Amino acid sequence: MSEHQPKQKKIRPPRSFGWMAEYEDENQLLDAARKVRDAGYSRIDAFTPFPVHGIDEALNIRRTRLPWFSLVAGMTGTTVALLLQWWTNAFDYPYIISGKPYASWPAFIPVTFELTVLFAAFMTVFAMLGLNGLPKFNNPVFTDPKFDRATDDRFFLWVDSRDQYFNAEKVRELLEATGAKAVEEVWEDDSPTEVPKSIYAGIAVLILITLIPGAIVLNMRNSRSPYPRWHIFFDMDFQPSRKAQQPTTIFADGRVQRPPVPGTVARGELGPNDPFLLGYDPEGVAMGKGAAVNVQMVSYQQENSASQEPIEEPPAPPPPQPDTSAADDPQASATADASSEQAGEAPSKPAGDQAPTTAEDEGDAGAGPAAEGEPNYAWLERFPLPVDAELIEVGRREFEQNCAACHGLAGYGDGLVSRRATELAQGYWLQPTSLHEQRIIDQPVGRIYYTITHGKGKMAPYADALTPRERWAVVAYVRVLQRSQNARPEDVPADADLASARGDDTTNR
Amino acid sequence: MASIAVSEVDNTIDTPGRRTPLVTGDQTYASVTHMVSRISEESQPLIWWLTFAVAFPSLLMFGCLIIYLFLTGVGVWGNMSPVFWGWPIVNFVFWVGIGHAGTLISAILYLFRQNWRTSINRAAEAMTIFAVICAGTFPGIHVGRVWFAYWLTPYPSLNLWMWPQFRSPLLWDVFAVGTYASVSLIFWYMGMIPDLATFRDRSKSRLRRMIYGILCLGWSGSSRHWMRYEKAYSILSALATPLVLSVHTVVSFDFAVSQLPGWHTTIFPPYFVAGAIFSGFGMVLTLLIPVRAIYNLKHLITPRHLDNMCKIILATGSMVGLAYVTEFFMAWYSQNKYEYDTFVFRAFGPYWWAYWIMFTCNVISPQVFWFKVFRRNTILMWIVTIFVNIGMWFERFVITVTSLARDFLPSSWGYFSPTWVDIGMLVGSFGLFTTLFLLFCKYLPVVAVSEVKGVMSQHAHAEHRHGHGGDH
Amino acid sequence: MATNSSSEDLTLPGGWRGKAPMLLAVGLICVLLSAGMCYFVGGEENRSVGFSAFLHSYLANFIFCLSICLGGLFFVMIQHVARAAWSATIRRVAELLAYMIPWWLLLFLPILAMVWWTDSPALYPWNAGSGNVSAIVEKKLDYLNPFWFTIRVFVYFAVWVLCARYFFGMSRKQDETGDASITLKCQKWAGPGIIFTALATNFGAFDIMMSTDPEWFSTIYGVYLFAASMLSFFAMMIVSCYALQRAGRLQRQVNTEHFHDLAKFQFGFIVFWAYIAFSQFLLYWYGNIPEETQWYQDRMNHGWQYVGLVLIAGHFAIPFLGTMARKVRRSRPLMAFWGVFILVMHWVDMMFVLLPTDEIHFSGLLLIGHLVGWIGMVSVFLGLLIYRTGDTPLVAQRDPWIPDALAYQVGP
Repeated sequence: MSEHQPKQKKIRPPRSFGWMAEYEDENQLLDAARKVRDAGYSRIDAFTPFPVHGIDEALNIRRTRLPWFSLVAGMTGTTVALLLQWWTNAFDYPYIISGKPYASWPAFIPVTFELTVLFAAFMTVFAMLGLNGLPKFNNPVFTDPKFDRATDDRFFLWVDSRDQYFNAEKVRELLEATGAKAVEEVWEDDSPTEVPKSIYAGIAVLILITLIPGAIVLNMRNSRSPYPRWHIFFDMDFQPSRKAQQPTTIFADGRVQRPPVPGTVARGELGPNDPFLLGYDPEGVAMGKGAAVNVQMVSYQQENSASQEPIEEPPAPPPPQPDTSAADDPQASATADASSEQAGEAPSKPAGDQAPTTAEDEGDAGAGPAAEGEPNYAWLERFPLPVDAELIEVGRREFEQNCAACHGLAGYGDGLVSRRATELAQGYWLQPTSLHEQRIIDQPVGRIYYTITHGKGKMAPYADALTPRERWAVVAYVRVLQRSQNARPEDVPADADLASARGDDTTNR
Repeated sequence: MASIAVSEVDNTIDTPGRRTPLVTGDQTYASVTHMVSRISEESQPLIWWLTFAVAFPSLLMFGCLIIYLFLTGVGVWGNMSPVFWGWPIVNFVFWVGIGHAGTLISAILYLFRQNWRTSINRAAEAMTIFAVICAGTFPGIHVGRVWFAYWLTPYPSLNLWMWPQFRSPLLWDVFAVGTYASVSLIFWYMGMIPDLATFRDRSKSRLRRMIYGILCLGWSGSSRHWMRYEKAYSILSALATPLVLSVHTVVSFDFAVSQLPGWHTTIFPPYFVAGAIFSGFGMVLTLLIPVRAIYNLKHLITPRHLDNMCKIILATGSMVGLAYVTEFFMAWYSQNKYEYDTFVFRAFGPYWWAYWIMFTCNVISPQVFWFKVFRRNTILMWIVTIFVNIGMWFERFVITVTSLARDFLPSSWGYFSPTWVDIGMLVGSFGLFTTLFLLFCKYLPVVAVSEVKGVMSQHAHAEHRHGHGGDH
Repeated sequence: MATNSSSEDLTLPGGWRGKAPMLLAVGLICVLLSAGMCYFVGGEENRSVGFSAFLHSYLANFIFCLSICLGGLFFVMIQHVARAAWSATIRRVAELLAYMIPWWLLLFLPILAMVWWTDSPALYPWNAGSGNVSAIVEKKLDYLNPFWFTIRVFVYFAVWVLCARYFFGMSRKQDETGDASITLKCQKWAGPGIIFTALATNFGAFDIMMSTDPEWFSTIYGVYLFAASMLSFFAMMIVSCYALQRAGRLQRQVNTEHFHDLAKFQFGFIVFWAYIAFSQFLLYWYGNIPEETQWYQDRMNHGWQYVGLVLIAGHFAIPFLGTMARKVRRSRPLMAFWGVFILVMHWVDMMFVLLPTDEIHFSGLLLIGHLVGWIGMVSVFLGLLIYRTGDTPLVAQRDPWIPDALAYQVGP
């Protein structure tokens, strides 16, 4: 039994803390612990390299209250998480996202769970350390070099000198009787208890260093500087993009907004002077003035309309049909309601082409004398786009939405507005033009288009309400109405199955 | 006393009624301590330095690529309409999945009293933490304006006057991965305290003694401390078990709460968790097979341990397979055209190779573990685990990329191609992971020595009882 | 340490065995009574709802019992595959529960007969056949039709019965021979057994349960049934062990540590069930796609929403908090109470999953009818269980793990 000799630097003699016995395996330790316990000692402990099964009972160690710490912390986590999510998302800063209520409890559950576990887990570890009194770097048991094997392969039993029955000699005898490999007295740790100043200084320096970045940020946020700031992400701070009308250095002309390249038309765009947009050919000569028809106009009238006139859709429309085709396929002009049936038919059928021919039927409209104050242009005689059932359907829809209120569903100028106004105004109201007046029937399609675009008299311009294509569609529908209201018996096809057409119509609704 | 035999002892043979020894070769407590401690005390073998020489430059490359990304923008990745979640999220999910084995081994297997966990849990937990570090990097750098990443935390911002959006699964992810990383770290550290004390007590140099002394918080091994420690360990296990499940569940929510075909399906949460355990065990084996060979830990990480891990890989791989089958069946059964087309696209579209790599590696390759020969031969086993890792990376790739590549509008369909930065970052993340693991081997206890000793003691008791028990 | 002292009676108490015929009779009467009560649920004008309600109620009670047995089957195989020692003394009770499964096929035959010989959509709307179902279901008829449905049900039961008989038979054989290699064989076959049983249960859940609402689908559904099965099995196990101990059996073989472990498993599966149920709900709630939410629509209206709230509280929150403490888990009477509580909640769960449709609304009459049906089905269950058990010992006496299981102690 070699006694550990503390260095005699101190004035006070080293105090004995208790006795320690060393064992080679856990079963010896357990037996010894039970003996010591049964001898009446209560301030006893064991030091083992691993948790020895049964030692709690042998040393009378009570169960820990650690689970309560975890439970309380976990419940705190739950509460904090629920309150946090409710307060931030439903109270302080409420806004709707993906149609969910402000307080979306199902969506709050994942975070609630995570925070519960987070709080409980951290509390468990820190409460364990706290209850164990760790970290504690100074422990009298460490003074014995033999004790180094307590974390390796030796088992130590310890009787504290503060035990009420403690008697050094008796304890030694008791421990020796348990078959201990060695029994030793544990002395006070005589190494200096103060932490060296250098360590404090080192910690202070470390803390200061870690504070520096935060201090710099704080300083920058609360001060002004005459110097420009340091740009880490230069191209994000100074992006080449500019707002409209600002100058730029990227282009030679210094303009941000780029004009179209000369001689090009953007895809899907038309030039501003396109007849499609105007309803007349600005380069053509008005026929109404009786002027000579120039070469261009002749070619325009004679050639296939599609080859010259710009149209919206790339595929060329079929060539114009002879007049007889109108009689062959009267449905196009009969009623727009039948268009759904038409749509199902072969697309090659030039259903819509009757509209322009209708205009031609009515005679040389363009040649008629222009009325007083009328604009005088080279009106388009033909539609600048293929006229088919679909276009007529668009025209019907737009006509009924925009025009029928005044002009009436059938175009007689007896719309609801007109009727009501007539009732109220008692004669002061000027009835809208009936589209079935011969004057209108005689007008070229471009002329009607122009009227829709610019308005006339009380009629407002519809350029803002309808796209050019929709306006042309309305023109086509006006032609359909005119044809239908002035239909001849031969317009009705011989094999027309009106009953089934109606049946189809109802199922489609 | 510590004679370390080179030949392997086969402890995979079962004797019903007898507990299989989990530490072989007539070890004593001291020899086990020595076997583990010497790894850190002696100089590292050549292979360590060679691996480090490859891994560390990869880590540096990873850092450089991240700086390049910050300075240039996320356009350096292949992420492009319609595949806005490309490799960064694939890598994130892959690494998070790998990070599941450690805490699973320490927590779930602890609750199930699977004692064989003790030899492998430390390394697996370390691997978990390093994998989560790799995982956390990717969404961190994926946010675009990375210097505003702190906006994800719910702090009272005086400039913005707004709060994070708690109804978003991406924010749940921040909380889930953050909680998981910190709880795993503290769990790992707590488990290491007694072993750090062992290191302290064995250290020869004063500096080493001081550092490990501070790290182990002055652990003395008092039975009262052990009692609270064990209680804390079991509570942490009970907390960590649902936590492990929740992390990959929340990751699966990132996908599944959307309405995207192939993502929006209810089996995602358990399916992701099974896949995560699968990939995690794959990676644990990939690491431990070399570690036990290099550091000669064959008596601690015995054939039985490897055998058990192979069986878990087999079980989870089959679960993943069951999920694949269920998903595919339900895609047809739901008669939802988009859902069904997405699955057909996955398996037979332009990404067919990814799908079939995934399926082969994840479902078919682990089936070889039905045969004992594959569970005994470490080389074959190691090759299969590599396949498992590849397969699981491709699973994440298939889920993330193929669903996005087919947008709802056929005109928006696209095909994802990674850039060199994508590839470099994946390689670099492996560099980060390997570097950290190598440092762990060098400085920290690779095996939970105190827990292994506890199991040795228990086994001795059981044998003792068996000796007395007699026949029945 | 010898396990089978000759004085010890390891078979069912004689008093119990005498009650089997009475239980069966009571059960049949109650099921008929339930049919009568459910018949009036729809009121005068809609008798078909009443018929439908009875079938749904029958199926829910049927699944209640079957799921307990399936849980037992999974438990047995998992114990083998994990080489578990602690459960060696209680495994026989689980084996007996699993061994019941053939009887459930018998009790499913009426439903199969209805599917096979009629085209009534009362339980399975797809049964109405082509032309009488919605457009979506029309496309599923290749799968959901009487012929294939019957075949699949037989396949599922074949897998279950085969596994249950194998493990029960091996265990009984070991009782006679004491051959330790039988344990090894069980370990070997438990792995494939689990896989096939998992497949059968997964798709069985789709077929037998989910197709009562054939337009709706959920990939997690099979896992949900698995979670519910395991939970109800552990509850049943705790209750059975407690009841057997009260009757003077298993006194020595099942100790507090076993109760503690069963309680921990029950606790774990309370959480697992909540996790699966929540995942399914959250994903459909968040996705908010009509075809997926309609299943929850049926269950969040017409009075069923209160049943849902009861589930959240009773199937998760209350037992979660109630069985958290170690003291509770180690107290046999308290755990028996919680076991019964969980079983009741499992019944509520099955009611919530299987009863509500757009026609079947919650009502007091339906609840009572369903409750009477449950009493009937449970009586049949217990009667058949007692009959099936007969003289079989309640402990696998010669299992090599028995000494370990007897000496077994939970850690801190």
